[in-house]
Amino acid sequence: MAIQQNTLNRLVIGCVVTGFLALVLIGAAGVAVMARNLDFSKWVNHTYQVQNAIADYRTDNERLETARRGVLLSSDPAFIGIYRQMSEKLPRHVDELQRLTADNPVQQARVARLRILLRQQLTADDRSLADPSAARAALATRGVDDGLTAVRAIRALTDEMKADEARNLDERDAARAASLRSLYVVAIAAGVLLAVVAISSTWVILRYTRDLTVSRAALQALNAGLESEVAARTAELRRANDEIQRFAYIVSHDLRSPLVNVMGFTSELEAAAKPLGQLLQRAEAEAPDIVTPEARAAVTTDLPESLGFIRASTQKMDRLINAILRLSREGRRVLAPEPVDLKALFDNVAAGLKHRADELGARIEVAPDLPRLVSDRLALDQVFSNLVENALKYLKPGRPGFIQIRAHRRGDRVVVEVIDNGRGIDPKDHERIFDLFRRSGAQDQPGEGIGLAHVRALGYRLGATINVESALDQGATFRVSLPAVLSRETAAT
Amino acid sequence: MNDTRHVTIVMVEDDEGHARLIERNIRRAGIMNDIKHFADGGTALAYLQDDQGGPAHNGPALVLLDLNLPDMSGTDILSAIKSDEKLRRTPVVVLTTTDDKTEIQRCYDLGCNVYITKPVNYESFADAIRQLGLFLSVIQVPEVEAP
Repeated sequence: MAIQQNTLNRLVIGCVVTGFLALVLIGAAGVAVMARNLDFSKWVNHTYQVQNAIADYRTDNERLETARRGVLLSSDPAFIGIYRQMSEKLPRHVDELQRLTADNPVQQARVARLRILLRQQLTADDRSLADPSAARAALATRGVDDGLTAVRAIRALTDEMKADEARNLDERDAARAASLRSLYVVAIAAGVLLAVVAISSTWVILRYTRDLTVSRAALQALNAGLESEVAARTAELRRANDEIQRFAYIVSHDLRSPLVNVMGFTSELEAAAKPLGQLLQRAEAEAPDIVTPEARAAVTTDLPESLGFIRASTQKMDRLINAILRLSREGRRVLAPEPVDLKALFDNVAAGLKHRADELGARIEVAPDLPRLVSDRLALDQVFSNLVENALKYLKPGRPGFIQIRAHRRGDRVVVEVIDNGRGIDPKDHERIFDLFRRSGAQDQPGEGIGLAHVRALGYRLGATINVESALDQGATFRVSLPAVLSRETAAT
Repeated sequence: MNDTRHVTIVMVEDDEGHARLIERNIRRAGIMNDIKHFADGGTALAYLQDDQGGPAHNGPALVLLDLNLPDMSGTDILSAIKSDEKLRRTPVVVLTTTDDKTEIQRCYDLGCNVYITKPVNYESFADAIRQLGLFLSVIQVPEVEAP
């Protein structure tokens, strides 16, 4: 199945659009995942901050407890200093924790409990430091006091908080991994889509190109077929033309033979009529009574008249046959294209007819600038001699004849115009005048109606078209459009 | 030296009218030689080559040949005469309507002695034949060697 141009366009545009959509999707997914990742990073950092804060708190809490014990055991003032420092620092840690876990109500509750525990611890510690001996005694007997209880509770609470934050961290890491995975999935899906689009568009284009190649090959084959067809037709035409030429030649020859007889025996009859005439004269002189009026009429009028008609008709037939013979001979002549100077050619034509023109008081003018062309010189001479001769033949009586020959180049053709101011041709006869033995207008000039038929036949051989533009009494323009260069192939047909 | 009066004129012409007109005009030119007329190539060749009274066996002859014949081409007869050992010196005058240049050349190539195109105009025709008659009255025709 061949891909139509429209289908191809739709397919290719579809592929391109799909490809772009896939790229946009990948971009959007990447941006979304990146935004989420930034968010996660922020939260992970936050969790680390919280964990750090908890760790700081625990460290300082341990230092506070150690300092308290140190005070209880050794009464070293250095421990007092550390204790004071830590007891001031710890509430700040709690503030910090409360600020950091503002987003987490569970942790907030724990921070609140932590604050209460810290207060209880600090209250108990302050009390034990105010009376170290009682505190030492209580510790010795119970192994534990309120401060230590609070410390233990705080340890448990901060452990809980740490664990919670660790869990948070795990959750956030998992979510981040999940979003990354979804990005991979989207990217892979889009990549697959792009690959599919690339493959299918490549396939479509390859397929289309192959179709194109196939159809071009078909077109070339068709063209070649056309050329051979034209060649075959041309050969056929040439053969038909040859046949017509041969036919014309044979017919005119074979018609000549009987014509020789008709003319010959007519002359013999004329010769025989002379003694008959003499016999009639003698009979009229010597024995007028044997001469009947019929016999006299037959010898003196009927016989010469009949012979005259036979003679005139055979002479006309002879001229016609000669014309056909000449046409067929012209048709058989091999044309020889050569560079022709039209100016020289037309001057020559005008010179050849100058005597006739002077007799008729007509003027022939050849335009000064004429193009050159490559054609058969003899055929051109015959064509234009005929046209100018016709122009001279059919002048308008009472109007001085003026005949112009001009030519100009038009594309790859040369158009020659022979313009006269003669009696003109009725438009209804414009086609007819080119037919063999057909003439137009008053039949007051000798001729058989051969000239223009000859001109047209020669014109065809030269690859020319000939037309006429004229109206009665308006003169006539014969326009001959010739190929500027007569090719040898055209000349051969 | 032979007397031209004994020379037989062999006319090969399919058109009876032409033959009659040619004969009349030859006679008017004062030529009284025997004229044998054949309307086709076959019988003409048979006479020329084999007939006991024909030129191959009996005396000199002159051939007037038309090219357009019903059974064979005049040029075939011409080449038959010119390739025949006994007849090849017999003068052949081609008298035909064809004035095609290549045809004329072909006839001379084949050994035709004179080529005349029949003019259609009768006066010219009669004139041409009469002149041919005058020509015939003076030309010398070689004897055919007896077998």
